[in-house]
Amino acid sequence: MLELKHINKYYNHGTVNEMCLFEDFNLTIGDGEFVSVVGSNGSGKTSMLNIICGSIPVDSGQISIGGKDITRMPEYRRLRTIGRVYQNPAMGTCPNMTILENMSMADTKGKSFNLRPGTNKKRIDYYRESLKVLGLGLEDKLDVKVGVLSGGQRQAMALLMSTMTPIEFLILDEHTAALDPKTAETIMELTGKIVAEKKLTTIMVTHNLRYAADYGNRLLMMHQGKVILDKTGKRKEETQTEDLLALFNEISVECGN
Amino acid sequence: MKKTIIAAFMITAMAAAAAGCGGSGGSSQKTAPAENGSGTASQNSGEASEAPASSGEDSYTIGIGQYAVHGSLDNCREGFLQGLAEEGIEEGKNLTVLYENANGDGSTGTQIISNFLSQDVDMVCAIATPMAQTAYGATKRTDVPVIYTAVTDPVIAQLATEDKMPVGNITGTSDKLPVEEQLQMIRQILPDAKTIGIMYSTGEVNSQSTLEEYKEAAPEYGFEIVESGVSGAADIPLAADNLLSQVDCLNNLTDNTVVSSLPIILDKSEDKGIPVFGSEIEQVRIGCLASMGLDYIELGKQTGHMAAQVLKGEKEASEMPYEIIEEASFYGNSAVAESLGITLPEELTGSAAQMFDSIGESNS
Amino acid sequence: MSILLGILEEGLIYAILALGVYITYSILDFPDLSVDSTFPLGSAVTAALLTAGVPAPAALAAAFLGGVLAGTITGLIHVKLKVVDLLSGIIVMTGLYSINLQIAGGANLAFFGSSTIFENSLTDPLWSSPVGDFTVVIISLIAVVLVKILLDAYLKTRSGYLLRAAGDNDTLVTSLAKDKGTVKIIGLALANGLVALSGSIYCQKQGFFEISTGTGSMVIGLASVIIGTKLFKRISFIKTTTAVIIGSVLYKACIAAAMAVGIFPTHYMKFLTAALFLIILVVSNRSKRKGAA
Repeated sequence: MLELKHINKYYNHGTVNEMCLFEDFNLTIGDGEFVSVVGSNGSGKTSMLNIICGSIPVDSGQISIGGKDITRMPEYRRLRTIGRVYQNPAMGTCPNMTILENMSMADTKGKSFNLRPGTNKKRIDYYRESLKVLGLGLEDKLDVKVGVLSGGQRQAMALLMSTMTPIEFLILDEHTAALDPKTAETIMELTGKIVAEKKLTTIMVTHNLRYAADYGNRLLMMHQGKVILDKTGKRKEETQTEDLLALFNEISVECGN
Repeated sequence: MKKTIIAAFMITAMAAAAAGCGGSGGSSQKTAPAENGSGTASQNSGEASEAPASSGEDSYTIGIGQYAVHGSLDNCREGFLQGLAEEGIEEGKNLTVLYENANGDGSTGTQIISNFLSQDVDMVCAIATPMAQTAYGATKRTDVPVIYTAVTDPVIAQLATEDKMPVGNITGTSDKLPVEEQLQMIRQILPDAKTIGIMYSTGEVNSQSTLEEYKEAAPEYGFEIVESGVSGAADIPLAADNLLSQVDCLNNLTDNTVVSSLPIILDKSEDKGIPVFGSEIEQVRIGCLASMGLDYIELGKQTGHMAAQVLKGEKEASEMPYEIIEEASFYGNSAVAESLGITLPEELTGSAAQMFDSIGESNS
Repeated sequence: MSILLGILEEGLIYAILALGVYITYSILDFPDLSVDSTFPLGSAVTAALLTAGVPAPAALAAAFLGGVLAGTITGLIHVKLKVVDLLSGIIVMTGLYSINLQIAGGANLAFFGSSTIFENSLTDPLWSSPVGDFTVVIISLIAVVLVKILLDAYLKTRSGYLLRAAGDNDTLVTSLAKDKGTVKIIGLALANGLVALSGSIYCQKQGFFEISTGTGSMVIGLASVIIGTKLFKRISFIKTTTAVIIGSVLYKACIAAAMAVGIFPTHYMKFLTAALFLIILVVSNRSKRKGAA
């Protein structure tokens, strides 16, 4: 269970440019939930993910996972149990390293990065199998540098890599936004499959209202640092893309954009 | 102009024909590719074949490697060639000189020496300590002798043993400063002075060893030495201000860093009316009051004589102890004395090697 | 012949420095200027220990460790005190100058009489053999190849993967639940260890330590890395580490050629280096596909 309690976050705190991002923000995400988060630009979706992962500090409040306070824990330690896929496909892989090397590194997550061989030869078949599932032909390109792959291929790898070792949370930060519609579709299907298979607690930020409606068992809409819509279970299933769009237009008009 | 070029080619051709060794006809800088001297010779086959007369005589190629650009080091080189000429080994006649300057870069120094060796020089002349050490290291396994000059302490540099005998096929001259004579001179000029300020660069080994000598000898002449170490030219203005507030006079070593910034130091000391003593003629010329200094031309000549003995096969470098210049000569600047209101004692000026009556421009 | 030997000797010894610079500059993407002082640090430690009668292999190891320590300090200043990479290097470079003088007890320390990795009872037969002239080249080559093999092997370990990832995409390092700062420190330590090792070998060949030898080491290393990596970019069977070693020899060859041709006086050497540098960078930029150099 992930809990955000009384989170306050200001940008440029104490200056004339002070901008309030979150004021007494509270959110609880239960184990096994797949939460889709939508909202206008600047509504605080990505900031919320950054706060959960520890990429940015909070001014006050408490963040806890499974009851354990992680507010002061550095980002890299939190990511031990969190897998994160970024909007930019380049963020999740090392372009100058081969597919095999990238897969091997992901597989070593959680273990000690010592002087043992970087690639465990016995695992190569497993990597090949996992890549085969993607259906992108990557299993035959193990020695190819990731830098030459397409954005979609890289994002598929990033998704695979971030979920390869046991994690508690999967954070998807607009992970289909930089892809063409067809590739985005493929990646989204893959996401649904992996989440279902591994029963991951997932938070997915997206601009695609259809994905938000189609995937997941809980839906959040954020606006100006607040959750303005929170539908779970049955009520979520009933929500149509059109309903979301209508609500979205409403808040957008309000903001003037 | 044409004549000199033809002459240069002739010389090259002669040298190549006679010694069969690579060498270019450069004077102070090499001017032609020198991988293969015979190439040059064949281009001028006419002249080459007309010069059989010299083929019977010995001719030599010397590689001169100088560590840095510095007035006194330049004088050493000049003196060295003069000394050789006095022994009948003249550049342009029976001597080809390859000259390279490392500009204070050790890595370049190494390449200079290996470049010389690849051109089969008969001798390496190394000017200043690091160059001498590089040359020694590089020629250890060859039979090319090394003659050095301007090495302040060959023993500390491990080029000679305590008894002045060389450690290998290497010998030369030391430019050890006449510390006692200098202190005595300062006492004669400034009878009441108590403290002498010495500025030196922490990165120059010769300066440190000379400073130690000064500190050891100073009490005998009733002086106290105040030292100030700098790590680079940028430190000098502040160090000078600080030092000038504590001392009766300043005394220079042959420290490259400090000497390069001498005009700044002279400017500041002049404002305070504090005399600055130099360590060699150049420094007196540009505004130091006086110096019991080395004549680097003389030092170079002495080195040249030693080199000639080795080249002619009269002696092996390995059996010649290194030499120093016994006498120091007095250099004074009467213009500086006048502006400071100091009279230089007759007994010094009477035996002066050179007196300057104006303050020269620094050219280094 | 001997000019070729000179190039090989210098090129191979400096190749170890170049491999160190390769780690910081190419792998970690960290412009480490402390190299100008860690190279003479290796020399100073070696000279001091050899004069004290310590055997050459131990001096070699001590020099390496000295470099590791210096690199760690650069890393700590950058990571923990959050000083910009360039400045961290400059700070360590400046401070080490004094430390080097302290270690060697002065600006110049000769040890012509001591046995070194080049001159000892084991290498004596080599010197007197028909290939005696090649002794320095042979020993340097063994050293370089050894370092290269070890470095290649390290880069294939888990830790090596992480080091490469840190320079390639440090977000991934964080995603792998590792502190990218620590990885950078390890890389700097290793790199400067190699640089100091190179300084140690260099001064053992020279027979003396001289404080000024460090000046320009960074540029020599960088030029070697750039020449090597850009020239052999398209030849896939040559490993980058090999390319860097060849780059180092080529760089020394260029300098030697410029010197031997004699068109330029030696005080133009730095200018020539800069020009060579620029040409290689411009040429390789033209043909570059993407990414930062």
